[in-house]
Amino acid sequence: MIDNDLDDVERVVAYGMNPQAHRYSPLDKLNRDTVKHLTPAWAFSFGGEKQRGQESFTLVHNGVIYVTGSYSRMWAVDARTGKRLWQYEHRLPEGIMPCCDVVNRGAALYDDLVIFGTLDAQLVALDRETGRVRWRDRIADFRAGYSYTAAPMIANDLLITGNSGGEFGAIGEIQARNPRTGEMVWRRPVIEGHMGTLPDGSETMTGTLNATWEGEAWKTGGGAPWLGGTYDPELNLIYFGTGNPAPWNAHSRPGDNLYSSSTLALDADTGEIVWHYQTTPNDHWDYDGVNELVLFDMEKGGETIKAAAKADRNGFFYVLNRETGELLLAEKFVNHVTWAEGIDLETGRPIETGARPGNPAATDGDRGESVTVAPAFLGGKNWNHMSYSQRTGLFYIPSNEWEMEIWNEPVTYRRGAAFLGAGFTIKPIYDDKIGVLRAMDPKTGEIQWEVPNRTPLWSSILTTAGGLVFYGTPEGYLKAVDDETGEELWKFQTGSGVVGQPVTWTMDGEQYVAVVSGWGGAVPLWGGEVAPLVRDISQGGMLWVFNFPKKRPSVGDYSGVDGSRAHLSTARRFSFGKTL
Amino acid sequence: MKPMLAALVLLASLGVPLLAVAADPLASPGWPIAQNRFLTGKTYVFDDRVQVIVPRDAEDSTAVPGFVRVQGIPDVQQIMVFAELNPIPMIVQFWPHRLEPNIGFRFKVQQATPVRAAALGADGIWYIGGAWVNAAGGGCSAPSIASADADWAERLGEVHSRIWNRGDEGRRLRLTVMHPMDTGLAAGIPKFYLEELVLVDDADKHLGRVEVHASVAENPTLTFDLRTGGSVRIQGADNNGNRMLGEVE
Repeated sequence: MIDNDLDDVERVVAYGMNPQAHRYSPLDKLNRDTVKHLTPAWAFSFGGEKQRGQESFTLVHNGVIYVTGSYSRMWAVDARTGKRLWQYEHRLPEGIMPCCDVVNRGAALYDDLVIFGTLDAQLVALDRETGRVRWRDRIADFRAGYSYTAAPMIANDLLITGNSGGEFGAIGEIQARNPRTGEMVWRRPVIEGHMGTLPDGSETMTGTLNATWEGEAWKTGGGAPWLGGTYDPELNLIYFGTGNPAPWNAHSRPGDNLYSSSTLALDADTGEIVWHYQTTPNDHWDYDGVNELVLFDMEKGGETIKAAAKADRNGFFYVLNRETGELLLAEKFVNHVTWAEGIDLETGRPIETGARPGNPAATDGDRGESVTVAPAFLGGKNWNHMSYSQRTGLFYIPSNEWEMEIWNEPVTYRRGAAFLGAGFTIKPIYDDKIGVLRAMDPKTGEIQWEVPNRTPLWSSILTTAGGLVFYGTPEGYLKAVDDETGEELWKFQTGSGVVGQPVTWTMDGEQYVAVVSGWGGAVPLWGGEVAPLVRDISQGGMLWVFNFPKKRPSVGDYSGVDGSRAHLSTARRFSFGKTL
Repeated sequence: MKPMLAALVLLASLGVPLLAVAADPLASPGWPIAQNRFLTGKTYVFDDRVQVIVPRDAEDSTAVPGFVRVQGIPDVQQIMVFAELNPIPMIVQFWPHRLEPNIGFRFKVQQATPVRAAALGADGIWYIGGAWVNAAGGGCSAPSIASADADWAERLGEVHSRIWNRGDEGRRLRLTVMHPMDTGLAAGIPKFYLEELVLVDDADKHLGRVEVHASVAENPTLTFDLRTGGSVRIQGADNNGNRMLGEVE
């Protein structure tokens, strides 16, 4: 929205808490000692029968919460009372093709507008007061497999969006619009050979035709930047991760396949690519490169480095110089990474182990030789965002330990049809855990501590100056752990799986925490042998808001509370906090 | 009607509440609610010069034809059409501007209800006409036909229109916009309806505007009587921000 608003702790106006995506709050009223008093203030049901994955980031401004839900819905809710102010339900056409559940990850605020994208690849700008549509524009044609699930970003006074549709051969593209009108300012396809448009209307090619793609494979090359980006206002660079190349069968597209499975730095004025770093050249495992690049300043050897970090699907945690794209560090953040031994810091390229699926053309049958490889295609970390704590200087990564068996099949492109050319099944590695919350030191690449979870972690992380790390679990809990030890300090059962994104702010002198609850996302759809673990989780669709009441009489002390009913409710409140 | 009107205006000017005297000629149980909802603070009078033409019995509850004609009231500013016993009472609000103060439409009816038209004169008085329509009902909570058709989005927003020359009676424009007009009352289908149509002539002059509500029948068909010649451009928008454009000569 407005850059200097971002430090205001009474607001949450940018996806990821700030354009650097730290997901960190300087608030410390809630801390390791007091978090046990955190109690629900109210809850809001999204209603209807559309209870699927709820992955939304909640925005808070002037006492109003803006939250999106499954099936392209949005609500404005009074942050103090939970009263619904308005609802927008997008009428979706039949035939939308979201690959990985009908989720939405949030909206962007700009002036008196709140803007979000829909599963039929449209942008809708609503009046913040009334919820009425002020403008609408098409990102891409949903009939060709495009959709949109990310939160748009405001950067350089522009509305920035990627697109979704990687599993359908859709071409990834980043677009910048005038947030007031929806008018396109620039657009940049992320696959080499495609033409982008500059603000003056002229066109330039992305990369060099056939430099890293052979023949015409680039035309259906995928690369959808479906998760959204981050922004450095000083460098005026926009950072976006790009999706896997299409099809999955890499035998049909020799070469590095730029700029798939990469992180790109774009000039925010023109959309031109300033630098790129490819995490998985010629990706063969669906190691999507969309994961967020978190921007931070790293003190090392007495100097401050403008750094940035990414925990990639492929199992490596990368630290880059965000001005130049130079690789500074690459370490495994999951125990099992078998596709590569490591990353060569000189060349920036992976040292592969050779664990690529066999070419179906080399066998008699339809199916190439299969391999078992880790991480699985859902990644060492998926979309759910890590947090950078300004307090500890550590990254908190919601990681998953799993492997997959994968094989290739011949495939031809058909518009709007899945374009994979691969078969696969995901398997757990451990009997007792898949998810692991890990604290990673970006200077050394060492894991400081870890907390296991039975099922995959699919919620984003929030850290605070109070020494807390908040995250959700598919088992339904929102949890707070100690940022130095991982010790669990508080949890609350929300009634359905938490795959959302916790946020915190202050209002009327109290600190609030909000998260959406509602199980779904890619795991139940694509989880293979993992899916049975999560089969019995109830669906949901609820916004939970917690606060930290000003008056906290100790148990047995009811002074200042009059009447037996007040007595009872206070006592209840405490038993709540204690028994959890 | 004239003497009654004069009396009402006199009473109004004396600050006497009109409710007490303006008894509903249709004797509808919904009238006090409708009056409260749409006419609070407004001066109004029942007047036969506002004609509401609807069938006595609705054959199809999802598309009942209606026509409102205002004759003999000069310089009509605005016309509200509502069916007060419908779950979505308002049907259309019409600002005739350079058009005749007449409008044809098709609407959904949930149960037997009066259909009213209130025309705002240049004198600031709302003139109200109405008629009952009997119906088997259920028109508002039935899913749209489009909602059962996987391809509805392909034709969304298409505008079909034609102008007839009716001799002394001038030119008549009829248009249809392809739109499901989902009311939000059928389970699992969000509210999705055409909200506004603006008519503009070939010199970009504004001819008139109509606000359409979800109670208008699927694929809204509207009729307007023109005062001017030349082609007409039709611009529309729905509650999801979809835009429609049409042109007719």
